[in-house]
Parts: sequence; structure tokens; C-alpha cells
Amino acid sequence: MNSSSRNTVILLVIVGFLTVSPVIMLLFGSFSRGLSVSGAFTLDKYIAAYTDPDLGEIINNTVIFVFGSSLLATLLALFLSYLNNRTDITWKFLFRIISITPMMIPHILFSVSWVLLLNPSNGIFNLILKQLFGLKNSLFNIYSLGGMILVEGLLDMPIAYLIIAPAMASFDVNLEESSRVCGANTLQTLIRITLPVLRPAILAAFILCIVRCMASFAVPSVIGMPGRIYVLATHIYRTISIGFAIDYGKAAAIGMSVLVISVILIIIYRYLTAESEKYVTISSRGYRPAVIELKRAKVPLFFVLGLLLFILIVLPVLVLVYTSLVPYSMIPSSRALSMMNLNHWREVLKDPISILSLKNSIFLGIFGATIGIILSIFVAYTIVRIKTRTSGILESLSFLSFSFPGIVIGVGFMWFFVRTPIYATIWALLIGYIATYIPYGIRPLSSAFIQIHKHLEESSRVFGAKPLTTMRRIIVPLLIPGITSGWILMATMFLRELSLSVVLARPGSEVMAVQILRFASDGLWGRLSALGIIMIVISTSLVALVTFIGIKLKP
Amino acid sequence: MKKIKLTIIIIFLLLLMGGPAIGASKVSFYANITAIEPIMEAFEAKTGIAGEYTRISTDKFLATVLTEFEAGKLLADVIQAPIPVLEMLSEKGVISSYISSVAQTYPDWTHKNGIQLFGIEYVALIYNKELVKQEDVPKRYEDLTDAKWKDKIVMANPAIHPTTISWLIGLKENVFSSEEEWMNFVKGLAANKPMFVASFGPTPAPVESGEKLIAISMPKYIITKAPAPLDWAKVAQPLLGTPRAIAVTSSAPNPDSAKAFIDYWLSDEAMSILAEDVGEYVLAPGIFPPIEGMDKAEVIAIRELSDEEIQQWGNEFKQIFAVE
Amino acid sequence: MEIQIKELSKYYYTDGKIIKALDNINIKIPGKRICTLLGPSGCGKTTLLRCIVGLEKPDSGEIKIGDEVVWCNKKGINIPTEKRGLAMVFQTYAIWPHMNVYNNIAYPLQIKNFPKEEIYKRVKKILNFVKLDGFEKRLATNISGGQQQRVALARALIAEPKVILFDEPLSNLDAKLREETRKELRNFLSELKITAAYVTHDQIEALALSDVIAVMNSGYIVEVGSPRQIYFNTTHQFVADFIGRANLIKAIVKSQKKDKTIVDSEIGTFICQKRDFPVESKVILCIRPEFIYLKEDNYSGEGNIITGIIENLVFVGETCEGEMSIGNKRLMIKIESESSLKKGDVVNFVVSSDHCLLVSD
Repeated sequence: MNSSSRNTVILLVIVGFLTVSPVIMLLFGSFSRGLSVSGAFTLDKYIAAYTDPDLGEIINNTVIFVFGSSLLATLLALFLSYLNNRTDITWKFLFRIISITPMMIPHILFSVSWVLLLNPSNGIFNLILKQLFGLKNSLFNIYSLGGMILVEGLLDMPIAYLIIAPAMASFDVNLEESSRVCGANTLQTLIRITLPVLRPAILAAFILCIVRCMASFAVPSVIGMPGRIYVLATHIYRTISIGFAIDYGKAAAIGMSVLVISVILIIIYRYLTAESEKYVTISSRGYRPAVIELKRAKVPLFFVLGLLLFILIVLPVLVLVYTSLVPYSMIPSSRALSMMNLNHWREVLKDPISILSLKNSIFLGIFGATIGIILSIFVAYTIVRIKTRTSGILESLSFLSFSFPGIVIGVGFMWFFVRTPIYATIWALLIGYIATYIPYGIRPLSSAFIQIHKHLEESSRVFGAKPLTTMRRIIVPLLIPGITSGWILMATMFLRELSLSVVLARPGSEVMAVQILRFASDGLWGRLSALGIIMIVISTSLVALVTFIGIKLKP
Repeated sequence: MKKIKLTIIIIFLLLLMGGPAIGASKVSFYANITAIEPIMEAFEAKTGIAGEYTRISTDKFLATVLTEFEAGKLLADVIQAPIPVLEMLSEKGVISSYISSVAQTYPDWTHKNGIQLFGIEYVALIYNKELVKQEDVPKRYEDLTDAKWKDKIVMANPAIHPTTISWLIGLKENVFSSEEEWMNFVKGLAANKPMFVASFGPTPAPVESGEKLIAISMPKYIITKAPAPLDWAKVAQPLLGTPRAIAVTSSAPNPDSAKAFIDYWLSDEAMSILAEDVGEYVLAPGIFPPIEGMDKAEVIAIRELSDEEIQQWGNEFKQIFAVE
Repeated sequence: MEIQIKELSKYYYTDGKIIKALDNINIKIPGKRICTLLGPSGCGKTTLLRCIVGLEKPDSGEIKIGDEVVWCNKKGINIPTEKRGLAMVFQTYAIWPHMNVYNNIAYPLQIKNFPKEEIYKRVKKILNFVKLDGFEKRLATNISGGQQQRVALARALIAEPKVILFDEPLSNLDAKLREETRKELRNFLSELKITAAYVTHDQIEALALSDVIAVMNSGYIVEVGSPRQIYFNTTHQFVADFIGRANLIKAIVKSQKKDKTIVDSEIGTFICQKRDFPVESKVILCIRPEFIYLKEDNYSGEGNIITGIIENLVFVGETCEGEMSIGNKRLMIKIESESSLKKGDVVNFVVSSDHCLLVSD
């Protein structure tokens, strides 16, 4: 027990150092006169940030946007993970991959894709609907809060999915069976038993989505700004980016409130799931959840699921494929078809920086996610099993960098890393990625941890296995679904990471984000789409591989 | 346990190896301008000095360079950014004065306290030549206030985007005869409810696809986005833009390479690449981007605006453009 | 190998209150014997077991297994669980669901890096011992509860540990299986001459299995003794009440004879087992229903005679259980099932003085 509290402290130091350092830098920056972190003390930035007359409307928009998208993401994830994991619906593997595809697409690209589909002037979808029903006006306007919620919700859905799915997959079937015995039908059982028991995972997913939405920039800027709808992230951008001397300290001052909200959310989450023992579901019995036969609902549900996934995910991806083939942005037509060529692909593939950044990103994705997951296993273990105050602090700490708005946190890391020898190397990116996105590892793992009965690891120790051996032989194998999820979340995130990369990448350590941003700022959507598809293909192969290994490892 | 130790040692070694290697002949170039890889290659082929190009977007430029400079870790030998940014860096002592002999042919106003201006980030009205009839193409900026353009315009957000704000102020000072006339133009533009995007980057796409018909954007897209049906409205008035500048850093690790790079950058050869491949408007005499009519166009550099002025006008434009 | 526990205490803090899970426990669990920790749920018996195995950290005291001190807060000794060389059968069995039966059982040997052939031989042997031959390849989750229980036992036995700890291992089995397993367990353990500490709340299990029983209540040990001592000769009202069933009758000590104590109770004068209570002190007289016999006509012994009216009788198979009343006091009784007595009959009963226990009030 002494050793475990020592280990907690060690973890606290590692995670704390990684995630607090950039935030401290931002804190300094927010109180410092001038553009750097070392100016004289001032409160001006806070005063300016919080007396802005627009703040009321911004907060209103942000709340609707954040809750709307998180709710959409979580509900959709619940629906998908239930069908994919607990029922006998056909084509599960395909549906699983599609469900997490938005995770692999650069957000900016996915947003542009939706603009092409749903803009009120000539969105493809709107045009089709106008033709079909002879409408005068477009039915959908993507440049609205609804549109923002739709796209952000879809983008965050895989996060929720990857947290809920493992919990769903290792559900103790006895709990449901006893409900059925009591006379409840499948739906009642789902609502009265399954969902409440999954509460920790659902809450974890919801909160993670909230935090992510608050930090999200791509959707508010690509979709919100043309609709003149501002949320906190774009408000920060708007506040600081007028002029050439951009004051990230001021951005940090606004960002601090997001940080506070996130930490409060984590505390609420801990409180709500404090009696996690209640939710233990894996023991020696009933490890394999029974598959629910959909019977008559099978075919309709298959079509609903297929159609939903097609419209929400496959279609935007198809738009990317189309965009990468046509010479410039154009509405699909026979002329567009006749003009299709592979020029954008050639341009991307012949660019040496593209190739280098591809290599670097794959390295960071695979290596970074692996290290990140190993660290997350220890942190999640500490958070779930060793319920001390320190572990509570650890959990809150792990969210610090993560919850900071993306456009600011990169600068925080730059302010931090410039004081270390690894500045301007690929290792700065690696450490920065892990530090920022460690919740992607910790969340699925800790909700998977909660479900493993304590006795399973205790018995291993009783029989003479050291803690690390127990970790390797008992805990890790039982955590495989959580590990798979966490690894996928981290690896796909690292592959397309933007916020840190644009600040920290230097010649030699270029990553794909550098290319993404270059193409985006030149408006080269065709090349961007080609690169995006390459990223989707790489990510999908990684995901398929890891999912396959995960299935193999699970008895 | 052994394995973990080994892993840690390996990581540590890799960390050491990954540190910035200090090569003999190279030059590190931080720039906000994009798509200049051909120039870097040509430079290396010509001088044998390896050019390392780091692209830093304008909004992160000052923060990055200043942070590195204050930590004594500025890796750049040469930096390129809009002139206001380099002026601010100059005040902080980041820039070392260098007047290239190559730039003697450049106009006098392009030499600025040891910083060299070499191009103008020029702005024009870019329209879809397939969807806009020739007679509808604006002949003056004021034509944009015509009601036929309602909901047909896309532009970078005039409350935020510094280059667009500068452009609007530039119009006031260089194009319109009175402030009132200018204000009518701005209000008329606002009344047509242009769609706002974050920067110039996303402006051409809606015009290409026909979502919008005309953009306040950069003519260089006519080159970089070819064969998109884009053209620029050849208005009777001059075009305006913020000057692009280049300078040597005061802490340049490779000062000689830095000077060699600037000399090459300002040469007709490099400037031709910039004009022809990227569609940039350069200040090297006689070199023009291959855009029809651009060699005859008058392109004026907007006066340098302080951040306070930009912010003040940004707020003003926010009010004006907030009309429902 | 014996386990010695000295002055062991453990507290929990909840809602600002201190709960004494273990309150100054002193006990010696004898070597090569089965010792049961018996008590109602929440009495601290599982906590004590988990302290012995090292899964919980006591707040003070000392635990010694054999000659080795494994925990002592004064000396700062805390041997981690894995180095205590114990084995345990968990209430949930803790069979690892991701391993097959073979690997589950072989695990303790694999951890100690035994050669493969040796492991194979031993697992074969132990599988035979627990009657699970041929189950090696089965996934641990695809076998019945009773089989899981035996896998857990096999896993505990395979490394031939000095001590095995059992945490209510039979509570998840059905009654019949429980009884069978109990007997098997008793045989295994006696055969192997292993020290076993066994936690249960089931008194029948405790009586049937144990060499020594320690009865616990709210964090302390009430009484330690052999099953017979605990059953027949307890000196504690709690034990008398908890083990089996007992009629508790208020009484006052009247006189002390050489080997008997005489009391006046609510239902008359009784000659009881000798207990050193001062004359006139208030005591409780305990009489187990199964020791209240019908007085036969030709009875001539020295037992206490009680006359009561049958209030009710229920046939439960082997016996009839019911109540009789003596004045206002009701006593539980147990008589042979073939008896023809019925409600309202006035009957004479005999209780031997050896079965009249006196415990302090």
C-alpha cells in the first residue's frame, strides 16, 4: 500500500508536469503585460476579456452548441454501440469502422464537406431536395447553430462511441436477464437496467464530448463564422486576431474559464460515479454478453442504421473523394465528371514534405499512442482503484491541457518547450500530444477498469504475482476492449493533430497537420481532400488492424 | 522491469539524437508566405546551401518568433512576414539591418530600416467567370453595393481579418475621394450581406462552386486554383494590398547564408518563380504574375497601420456589418 | 504453520464517523488446522482475512505467519501480498475469464517460473484431485458454479501453500452442492494438512468444517473454541444465540454447588452447568431446543423437569419444531417427528443440567 501511494505520487508528478506546465505558462501569459510570458503583472487581459459586451450572447451560443453536440454525439454513440455490440445486426465490423471514421478526418475538412452538402445557395443535398419536391428555398442551412451541432456532434461521436462501446461489450448479462425475468421487455430493460448500469461510461463520454466541444475551433470557424454565430472558441479568435500582434495571453485569460468549467465537470463526474463498485459487471461469470436477437426489427434497423451512417458519415467522405478528383470546387454534373483527374493526388504525393509528414505522423500515431496508452493504464488504475484525494487530483490534472481551447494550448506548449532541450524536435510533438490527449486513453480505460472485479487482480497478487506481473497477465488482457478504444482514439488523433503541430512542427519534424494547414490557408480543398483520404486510409488500416488484434486477444 | 528500463534508455538516446543538428551550410527561413518550395529548391541547387522552410501562419508569427527569440532559441536566419509584423519584431531587436545589393533596382520605398519589401499581398474582386455575365462584372468598387450582389459576396470577416480591415482603410485613403463616399460604399457592401469566412484561404471555394459569385480575395488564386473559372474585376481604381517583407535576424546562426538567401530571394529569378508559380505580386521591376491585365494594373501598398488603428476600425466594421 | 495476530485494529472513516472494522483483535490460528472466522455480515471477519493476506492495511497491531512478521506498524513491516506465500479462495472465485481452466490453475506455478513439464504434471494431478479431469481447455467462464469453485480451490492448492484463506467460498452454491463441497473440502484439507482460515457466516458450515471456530461480532472476537466447545459450552450470550438456536431465560444465581450452579429463573429453579457467578447475580439461562427432551414415564435422572403447554408444532421432516408456554414465557422445542402431541397438550420435559448454560446478562 505504501508503494501504491508512492506510485500515485510518481504518476502525479509525470502527468502533472506534462499537462500543468503549458497551462502554467498560459497562466503567466494571461497575467503578463505584452505578448510574452515574462512581462510585468497585469489584470488588464482579464478585465478586457470579461467585460466584453458580446459575452452574454457568446455564452448563450456556446452552451447551446456544446450541449447540443455532446448530446447528439452521446445519443448517436449509444445507439450505434448498442446495435454494434449487443445485437445480431448484420455487417457489424463495417458499421464499427464507419462509426469511428469521423475521428480520422481533419475537422476542417469534414466541415467543408458538409458545407458542400448543405449550404443554402447550392448545397448538393439542398439542390436534390429542391428538384425532388419543387421547393423554392433551400430546406437546410448549414450556417446555423443546428448545422454546427450536427457537424460537431458527428465529429465527436466516435469519442463517445469508443468509450461506451467497451463498457457495452463487457456488460454482465445477468443484470439484464433478471430484468427480463421480472417481466420487462427488451426496451424496458434497456432503459431501466442497461443504461443506468452503463452510467459511468455514458457520463464519461458526455463530459469528454463537452470538454472537446468547448475547445473545438474548426466547426465554429468554418460553419459558425459564415453564419455569424460565435462561440467561445471563435470569440477568442476574434478577440485576439484583430491586428498583427496577437496576444495569446488574452486568449489564455478567456480560456481559463473553460478550464475552470472543465475541472468542475470532472469533479461532478467523480461525485456522480463515486460508488463505482455498484457498477462492477465483469466477474468470472457472464463475461460474454448475450447477443440480443432483433428478430423482426432486424431488417428495418439494419436499413435505419445503414442509411444513417451513409448520410452522416459515408456521404461526406464521398464528397471528399469527389473533391479530390475534380479540378476545383464544383457542383456534381456531367461536366464535373468529365473533368475529373488525379492532379491533386499527384501534387500531394510528389511533394517531399507530404511524404515526410506522412512518415512522421504515422510514427507519432503508432509510437505516441502506444506510450500514451501505457501511461494511461497506470493513471486509470490509480484513478479507479486507489481512491485517494491524490488520485482525484490526478484525474483533474489529466484534463488540463485537453480542455484548453485548441488555438491557445499550442502556444502554451511552445512557451513551455522552448525552455527545454527538445524544442523543435519531433519529441516535443510526441510529449505534447500525449500530454494533451491523455484523457483519450484514460477515459475508456477507466470506464473499462470500473467493470473489472477487484478480486480478479487481488487473487493474482495472492498467488505471488507482483503488481506489474498482475498488470501484464490479468489486468491488461481484461482491459483489451478499453485499450483498443484508447489506442484508436489516440492514434487517429495524433495522425491528424493540428493545434500543437502548427506551433511545434519544424523542418524535419513536419507532420500532416502542417500540410493540412498549408492547403487550407491557400484554399486548396482538392489537395486537402486527397491528403484527408490518405489519412482516413491510414487510420482505417490502423483501426482495422488494432480491432482485429483486439478481437484475437479477447478469448 | 528490465524491458521498461531498456525502453527508457532507448527513448532517452533517441531524444538526444533528435536534438537540432547544426549543419555547416544551411539557412533557416520562417515565412508566412506559402508554396515557395520551388524557390527553396532552386536556391539550394544554385548555392549549395540547404534551405529549411518553416511556414508559420500570420496569427502565430509574432508569438513564435518572439518566444524563441526571448528564450535565445530563435532558429531562423531569415524571416518573412507582412511589414507590420517585421516592424514590430524590429522594435524588439530581432532584426539585423541588411540592404541587399540586388534590391537596388527596386523602388526606393521598398527599403525600410534594413527590412526589404518585395511584394504586395494584393486584394481584388474575384468572380466566377462562368456565372457572372461580362456586363455585370464590377467596373468600380462601388458596383459591389448594387443590390444584384445581395447574398452573392464572400469575404474575410472585416471585424477580424487584419488584411481585409487594412484593405478597407486603404480604399478610404487611396481610392475614394471623400470619407462619406467611402462610408456609403462600406454600408452598401454591408447591406448586401456578404458571407464571412475566417481568412482569404476559404474565399475562392464558394465562388468556384457557385455558392457565391464574387469574393473580396486575392488574384493569386487565379493561378494557384487554375483551371477554376476565376477572374478578377479590372476596376478603374487601383488595387491595394499589405506589403510583404523579408529580413535577416539579429541572432542568425548562419548570417552569411542568410544574406546569400536574401540576395537570391530578391533576384529576378526567384521573383519570377514567385510571380509565375504562385501568382504573387512582386516589386522586382518588370516582373508580373501571369494574370491577364495585371501588368497594367496599379497596385498600391497600403500605409502601415498600427494594431490599435486596426482594432479600432475592426470594431467599427463589426457594428456596420452587423446589420440584419 | 500458525498465524498469530496481536492487537490488530482497523478503522474506516465515513461521514466523519469512525467505524471500527477490527477492534484490538488477538487470535492464534493454529497450524495444520481449519480455523473458521464466524460471524454475522459486517462483523469484520472478511476484513481480518484481507488483512492477513495483505489486501488491506490495518491501522495498528501485528500479524505473524509462521515465524515471519508480515505486518507490524510499530516496526514498519509490511510484506506485500505477493510475498506472503499464501493462497486464497475468493467469494466470487475470481476465476480469470480470459484464461482457460488449465492456465487459471497453473498461474501460481507459472508466476514462480516452474518448468513447464512440472506445471503440467501438477495441474494434471490437482485436476484429478478436484475431479475436473479433461477440463483443461475449457474457458473458465463456460463451466458451472460448482466447477468454478473447484477450479478456484485447485488454483489455491497447486503451489502447496503453507496457508490457504477462504472467503465464504461456498456462499454462491446451492444447498445440496454446498453440503457436498463442504465435505470434500474437509477431506482435502485434512488430507493435505494445510493451515486454513475460513470466513463464513453460516454456522453449520463452521461447525462441520472447523477444528477451531472464532466467533466475531462488530469488530472483535467474542469467543474461540472447538466446534463442540462453542456449541455446548459457550460462555457468551451472543455465541449461544448465533450458533444454532437458543431459548434465553432471565435468571438469578441462588447457590453454588461443587460442580453445579443453581438458579431461579422465570420458569422455575434450574440446576445448571457450573459457572463462577456470584450468588444473587443476574444471569441468562440458555437452553437449546434440541436438548429439551420429552420426559418418559420411567425417567429417574437428575435433569430439570419443565411442564408446559404445547402452543404450536410444525412438521419439518426430520423433526417437529414448535413452541410451548410456561406461564407467560414461551420456549422453542424440537421433538421427534413421529410424536402424536398436539396443540394444547400439557407435557413434561427434561433438560439435563449439562445443557443448561449460564451466560452473563
